[in-house]
This record gives sequence, structure tokens and C-alpha cells, in this order.
Amino acid sequence: LHLDSSQEKLLRGEGGEAKQFAMEIVAEVGDAVAADSLVPIKSAHVLAHYSSLHDAGVEVLERFAASGGRFAVPTSVDPASIDLQNWRSFGIPEDYARQQFRLCDAYAKLGGMRCWTCVQYQVCNFPKQGETVAWAESSAVVFANSVLGCRSNKITAGMDVACAVLGLTPKFGMLNDENRVAGVAFKLSAGPLSDLDYRSLGFFIGRNAGSRVPVLEGLPGSVTSDEVKHLGAGAAAAGPVTMIHIPGITPGSKTTSAATGGEKVEEVEVSRSDLAAVEADLNQTNELPDLVAFGVPHLSVNELGQLGRLLEGRKLKRGVKMYVYTSGQAFEMAKKAGIAASIEASGARLTHSTDAEISPLRRLGFNVVMTNSAKLAEIVSSEGDIVVRYAAQKAIIEEVTG
Amino acid sequence: LTAASLLGRGLVAGDASGGALLSLKAFTFAHGVDPATGTVTDVRSDIRGANVKGKVLFYPFGKGSTTASSWFLEAVRLGNSPSAIVTEGVDLSAVIGSVMARVVYGREIPVVSGVSRADYSKISSGATVRVSSSKGGARVEA
Repeated sequence: LHLDSSQEKLLRGEGGEAKQFAMEIVAEVGDAVAADSLVPIKSAHVLAHYSSLHDAGVEVLERFAASGGRFAVPTSVDPASIDLQNWRSFGIPEDYARQQFRLCDAYAKLGGMRCWTCVQYQVCNFPKQGETVAWAESSAVVFANSVLGCRSNKITAGMDVACAVLGLTPKFGMLNDENRVAGVAFKLSAGPLSDLDYRSLGFFIGRNAGSRVPVLEGLPGSVTSDEVKHLGAGAAAAGPVTMIHIPGITPGSKTTSAATGGEKVEEVEVSRSDLAAVEADLNQTNELPDLVAFGVPHLSVNELGQLGRLLEGRKLKRGVKMYVYTSGQAFEMAKKAGIAASIEASGARLTHSTDAEISPLRRLGFNVVMTNSAKLAEIVSSEGDIVVRYAAQKAIIEEVTG
Repeated sequence: LTAASLLGRGLVAGDASGGALLSLKAFTFAHGVDPATGTVTDVRSDIRGANVKGKVLFYPFGKGSTTASSWFLEAVRLGNSPSAIVTEGVDLSAVIGSVMARVVYGREIPVVSGVSRADYSKISSGATVRVSSSKGGARVEA
């Protein structure tokens, strides 16, 4: 790794303590991943939720803030571990909330946008094609590379803040053309796709691509950006995927051949039975859930509207809670449009600035979680305490409402 | 004489040893290892129930959430991290977690990549493994 003279100065501490701390991290990681230089970024997206950062993460973020750190580029933040406005009404313990608010305070001191969402590209962080960004949040990184045509590695916790404070990131991985070439082609022929199918398809790709960049053929022309969002989230939850070439959507990849650089690559057929196998794998039980969770990643206003229509005239069964997760911005719009009321009339709760997979579901007493999110299913079941049911939104609503 | 000597790429430098803990599936610390104990909890892991503390942990690739490095760092803070990590592909979470461990807590946890599943699966689980990792290269001896 070659540092230029201004970067050397930061490493020696001439730019202050926070930048020196950041540079120690970024330079050593850059060296480890064989980057030849550090390059400027246009934006950053960082993590500041207590469930994953733990006390170590609180120490790190507070160290950045206390040593005078300021974000050098526009920086957005992933959801918190609690609904930042209504956490008490969700039964969040005080001690837990206190640690989350320490993270919120440190993040605010660093000068970040207080958007608290995992779909920053739908809310507050809008890079344009070709720009280099340093984003955490695996699903957003897939969206940035595959749909926006940006260049981002999956920048993980700690490194994310260091990059944001410097406005720099090591040039490696998905920032280099040669690593963006597709090395495996998935060919989908599974008929019409439900909301669940997009998530399962992503999960299948994540499981089977290994460390190769996939290209995906066979999506219908009607696919929405929300569906691609959930596809990418499923893929990133299941494997190391950071980009999926989708001919017709991914900038620069009009065809599979363009995505593979004209090379012949392994082809993997994806049929209805493969999607069914993912469902069978993620489904752990047939019990009635005590929590239904929608919105991992966060639902857009449009998706909230669709959910409101599905819930019309229905009431949740006794013993079942339904939490619907979105950004604070979409939450406000849904309130103004009457969508929030249509969702909450069923007994469901619309919640914002947090998300299910990073909230203390076990501490809140949930045992069976039902969702249409492959990402949530994967994460929640990983911890082994909560069992998961995985089904399409419509099927879930039919089962848990009367 | 060593039973096996594997060469890899040294991502984070350092020397360490410990019992071999071998996973053949994509691995994550995020929601997959309890930092308070070091126990692998991930239901999809082939080493669920094993403890990573003090072990030389082998797995092919990382997966999932970008929070993995902070779960790793919390395990370091609580003294429950592996002593070294050896992978096939580069797991950025392991690299960042290890760099943070040194910068924040002064702990040295070498990370090595480029050791294939086919090669490391020949090591017996629990066998004492020595890892010597530097920018020039890395050697894993069992």
C-alpha cells in the first residue's frame, strides 16, 4: 500500500487524533487486502446499533467522537437496535436503550445524517453511477454495485467509521474492474415470482456463487427496485456476494456476455424446486408465530401501501404481534398518506429507525418469528434461540389474521 | 517433522497456535458466535456448539452481515476470540476484526487466506496448529 504525503501525515497524527486512529485501521486493512492506494469516497454508510456493536463498538465510536472526529463525507447510518422514539412502548429495557443512545450521541457528534435506515439509497444517500462509496450494510452494498453502478466493498463495522472520517477507502475488491467481472451465470426459469421467490432466489445465489461474482438471467422486465433490494439482501445474507449483474439493470452489463467479459462461465439453472428447497431450509417449524416481522430490509412507502391494502378489514389473531419496519422518512410519509392507519387498524405496529434482525427479540420474549425475509430468517435462526417460519407475505397475513 | 505444512497469504501478521477448529461452510461471527462465551451458535454451521476461544479457526469464506467484525471485536474484548483465523477466500470481516483487535485492544490475532478447504480438511480436528503470518507469506503447521 502506498500512502501519499498527506496520508502519511495523518498516520503520524498531524491531522489530529481521530484521523490518526482512522488511518491506523484503514492503512493496515488496505495492506492486508493488497490495495495499492487509498482513494476518495463520495459517501459513507456506517453501523451504530448496539445489538451488533456491543460494548466494544460503543468504546470505538465514542473514541472517534471524543478525539475530535468529524465525518469527511456525507454519511448515513444503519438502523438502531430500538425504535428511537417509541422504544419504551416496545418493552426495551432501560440499560439496553442507554447503550444505544450512547451510540446515537457519538454518531451525532461525528456529524452523520440521522436517517437510521438500511435502505439509505431510497431515503437520504444518493450517489451517482460510477462513484466510489464506502458502505456497510451488506444488502445496500449489493444494491450500490448492482443497480446504482457504484463501486463499494462490503465495509464492515469499525472500518466503516474510519473510512467516513478520512473520506478515503483502500482500493481493492469491487473498486477494481477485474474483480467486478461475473464468474458464474444463474439462469432462472421458475414461472411468475412472488415476494418470497425474490428473497429465496437471492438466498440461492448467495449459497451457490461462492466468492464468484454472479450474473442473473431470467428476471421479468416488470421487476421493481424494491424486489431487487430484497433479492440482494437474500444473496448477501447467504454468502459473500457484493454484486449481482442483472442484464438490463446493471450499468455496463447489457448482456450476460458483457457481464462475464465475453468469457464462458459455469451456468447454474434455477428452477421452482430450488426455490422450494430454500423455503424448506429456512422454515424451522409449523407453530403459530408470536411475532410477524416485515421490513428486513426496510420497506419503502410503496411497499407499506401494498401491505396496508392486504391488511384491510383484517385483525391480528390473539397472541400474535406484527411489527412493520421502515425508515423514519417513509414512516412520516405513510402517516400523512393514511397508510400507517390502514396498517395499524389490523393491530400491527409500524415502527421506524430500527429493524428486526438487530433488535433484542429474544430479550423481548419472542420464540417463533414469521417473516418473508430470507435475511431475517437466516440471522434470527443463527442465534439458535428463536425458531423461524418463512412464507410469502400474503400467506402469512391469511394465517395470522382473522 | 510436521504432519502437514500449508502455505497461504498473510493478511494480518502474527504468530499463534491453538487447537484446530475446522468448518467447511461459510462462516460468520455475526449472530453466529456468542461473544460472551465463544460458542458457535449458527444453526447452519457444521461446528455449532464448538468453542472458538483460543482455537485456530478454519473456514472457507465469510458470509452475511457487515457487523461480523464488531461481534469478533466484542469476543476479543471479553477474551473469547480464536487465536488465529485461516480461510480460503479473503474474509474482510476477519481482517477488520483482527486489525481493530490490535489497534483498540493490543491483541495479535493473525489472519491467513489462500488455504483451500481440500488442504485444511486433512488436518485433524483439535490437533495443535501453529500459524506464522507475515506480509511475505504465511505457514500453517499441524
